[in-house]
Amino acid sequence: MNPKCRRLWFSLFLPLAVLSLHNEVFDEQLNIRSLPDGKVASRFSFTTVLVGASPPTPQNHSSQDDPRHYSLFPLALGQILHEYAVTEMHLTLNAGKWNYDHWGYPDEDGVGTGAELWAWMGDGAVSTVDERWRGLRNALAGLFCASLGSLDELRTTSPTMMFAPGALSNRTSTHSLRHASLPSEHVCTENLTPFLKLLPCKSLSGIATLLNPHRLFDADWHGMGLHVSWLPQQGVQVKLTFQTISDPLRPQSSSRDWSFASVFERTIQRSCPVATSSQIVVALPFGVPYTINPQPSLVDQGHAIFDVVQSGPLDVSLHWPSGFQYSTTRLAETTFSVRRTLKGYTQDNGQLSVLLRNDEDSPVNIAYLETMPWIIQLYLHTLTLEVDGVSRNDLLQNITYIPPVPHSRATLFQIVLQIPSRSTLKLTMDITKAFLRYTEHPPDAQRGWDLPPAVFVRLDGRPQRRIYAPALLVDLATPDFSMPYNVIIFTCSLIAFIFGSVFNYLTRRFIVLPVPS
Amino acid sequence: MLRVTALRMAKSTTLTLPALAGCRIALALATDLYDTLKHNHQLASPLTSYLNLQEGVFLFKNGVNPYSGGVFRHSPILLSLFTTVIPTSRRLASILWTLSDIAGAWALVQLWRARQRAPQTSRDGLVAAAYLLNPYLFLPTLALSSSTFENTLTLLSLMFAAQGNASLALVSAAILLHLSLPSILLSAPLILLLSSSNGPLSQLASPRAFTPNDKKWIALLGEYVAYAVFLSVISTLVSGGLSWIPQTWGANITLPDLTPNVGVWWYFFTEMFDHFRPFFLMVFSVHLIIYVAPLCIKFQYDPLYAAFVLLGVLGTFKAYPTMADIGLFASMFAVFPELFPYLRHPIVTILLHLHAALLMPLFHHLWLSQGTANANFFYATTLVFACANGAALTDCIWAGLRIAIGAPEEGFSVVQE
Repeated sequence: MNPKCRRLWFSLFLPLAVLSLHNEVFDEQLNIRSLPDGKVASRFSFTTVLVGASPPTPQNHSSQDDPRHYSLFPLALGQILHEYAVTEMHLTLNAGKWNYDHWGYPDEDGVGTGAELWAWMGDGAVSTVDERWRGLRNALAGLFCASLGSLDELRTTSPTMMFAPGALSNRTSTHSLRHASLPSEHVCTENLTPFLKLLPCKSLSGIATLLNPHRLFDADWHGMGLHVSWLPQQGVQVKLTFQTISDPLRPQSSSRDWSFASVFERTIQRSCPVATSSQIVVALPFGVPYTINPQPSLVDQGHAIFDVVQSGPLDVSLHWPSGFQYSTTRLAETTFSVRRTLKGYTQDNGQLSVLLRNDEDSPVNIAYLETMPWIIQLYLHTLTLEVDGVSRNDLLQNITYIPPVPHSRATLFQIVLQIPSRSTLKLTMDITKAFLRYTEHPPDAQRGWDLPPAVFVRLDGRPQRRIYAPALLVDLATPDFSMPYNVIIFTCSLIAFIFGSVFNYLTRRFIVLPVPS
Repeated sequence: MLRVTALRMAKSTTLTLPALAGCRIALALATDLYDTLKHNHQLASPLTSYLNLQEGVFLFKNGVNPYSGGVFRHSPILLSLFTTVIPTSRRLASILWTLSDIAGAWALVQLWRARQRAPQTSRDGLVAAAYLLNPYLFLPTLALSSSTFENTLTLLSLMFAAQGNASLALVSAAILLHLSLPSILLSAPLILLLSSSNGPLSQLASPRAFTPNDKKWIALLGEYVAYAVFLSVISTLVSGGLSWIPQTWGANITLPDLTPNVGVWWYFFTEMFDHFRPFFLMVFSVHLIIYVAPLCIKFQYDPLYAAFVLLGVLGTFKAYPTMADIGLFASMFAVFPELFPYLRHPIVTILLHLHAALLMPLFHHLWLSQGTANANFFYATTLVFACANGAALTDCIWAGLRIAIGAPEEGFSVVQE
């Protein structure tokens, strides 16, 4: 089909499509901001709202087994949501460590390393929440080509305080949360392809054109997200996001200038025809000379806004005439920072150490969550809190602890802490590392295990933001994988030998024999 | 003249136990080895480690059921003691553990005296020293492993049984059962000892058939079960449910924690194929039980000796042994000096023990801390350790049976049919 012909088909069928799709709205947006360390943070967000729809619940699940007719809403996802009656769901696949000190808070909270999935599901269905949770993660594993099937019972917890539902706050009694994270998941182009397939225009037009895998996976940090939530006034919303931190200083170390062509190696050629709105929002530098090209359609509160639907081909670029001077000053907005480490050199025990720094003039209340797989056993009685070398156990306000069960259940450890003004709080806790059966080790056992990122939430701050500490790597003792047979043979032989000797002595009579001289 | 020497000797032996006890308390107070030894897998198993006990007490005090999770596997009896009566201060614990060892040594001396049917003997001090100066026993005590209490209770129950005090013997045995499930095997020789007419007297040299007193052993067994059930009810009330059973007793059968120890189970079940695991768990548990009846039948004329040999079997083959278990077996040798001339290969046994005792900590360190060895190194030394224990065990059985034939004579040799 030649382009002219395609355009003709579009013009004929587009009004019809729009008529039948009056209850589905698709919006897309790209936010770009330059960071003080010269890097560029971009966030793509593609939102589809099923207007007036109610969230899938176990109650309406059985009655609505009619085929789903969607035009913009991703069908593959819609089927999964209905099959497992998922009310709210968030999946993120990230690679790298988000640097809060230099990059500030991300536009999307979920920046934990690796895969993270959490879902709120209603109780009362024929199948239990856990059965549907298993189905959901396996279905999403298939949809996103990611090893989400490994988010099994060994990693699943229910930290309701940190992962509150968006619009369900009054319904938490009838809904349950399941949360799991897999920090060792590697995110790459095989996950991006299914991501693009969920978009109505794929990566053919609109903002999604810029999602060029060669550049995205070359970024300093990148992460994709899928967020399904229910907005009571609007309906069911599916938000697909992609965040990157790219480094324009890498090719030319003196200039932080960027353009779509340099950051993504692509430009926007045409807009997505089904998008209700399609915007590019660029945060403009403050207090320094700059030039932005082309001229934005609107400038609002230090942000340049480009309307992709109105404009033609678009390649936004930002130019600083005054070169770049690297500064090590931290961003003013991140007044709270975390450093988490695992200390100790032996393979059977160690110490978890968390440094929490508060730069504000007032004390801050923090909720701190660890969801460890059972291989790490925390010793709560060794928990100590120190400020400048002085023990301050009074700063601990609340502990929630669900101990692990070997070979099956993960630990959930959540505490509420107060960090005094302008000080660093040091939290330490002894741990022991488990000894696993040889079949429980991953294929590359000597590499160690990735532990899920810890999550911190400021309890007094508005809005509530989740802050992720980087994942940890723990070195577990390994058995010799090559010799199960040898061990079985050695041990069984020894036992048989001792057993045989004992019964030999016990069952045979003693007699005295003359020794022939 | 002779009487004076005897009196002096008696005085010196009465002083030995307090002197040794004083040394041990001084050792406990002067050295604080707990921090160095607390993670030592040879001295404390997951079922006996003080670290886990403290964690359980902490969780219990903070309203979390310690039996809901994986780490706490101590009996609810210890939990209730350490949450209410005894504060978990390190110094106090160190003294308490040493006192428990001293009580064990005292019980061993009493056991020896009961076996000799003498109020005091010249070997008392030696017997006490064999217990208090045994490194297999005082190192676990310094590491605050609760196997110290298990040993003390074992000796107390044997001592009470030897003295004919049935109720106290059975109460101690029931508490011991709650601390360690495999000790249930000891109940058979214990009941035999209580119902036998000879008591603890050495009958090895003059074996004769045991005339069972049906009524008595049934009553004793009933009493033992009653105490055990009573303690179980208390435990259930203390811990607020039955979840303590799979966590404490169940761990001995299902082996959920594969932390290395001196026994033969841990590496076997680390390397075991998943679909064979339940079968071999069953085999290993049944293997322990299988020794009880033959030993009790063969040594029916000397049940204390049967109990001693069973202690050796438990120390070698139970699911979570520590050095203290085999240390108890080694120290109890002091009660049976009549065996010594009949042991066939004591030097080999001792050298094997020495080999294992030196290499075990070394290879453990090389594997887990240094990273220059692997699991097979430590596994190999536990095999040597099991060989050493097996050699001691079989030698004991040989000597215990051989002694009945009498001293070896020129021109004759004793063989088995």
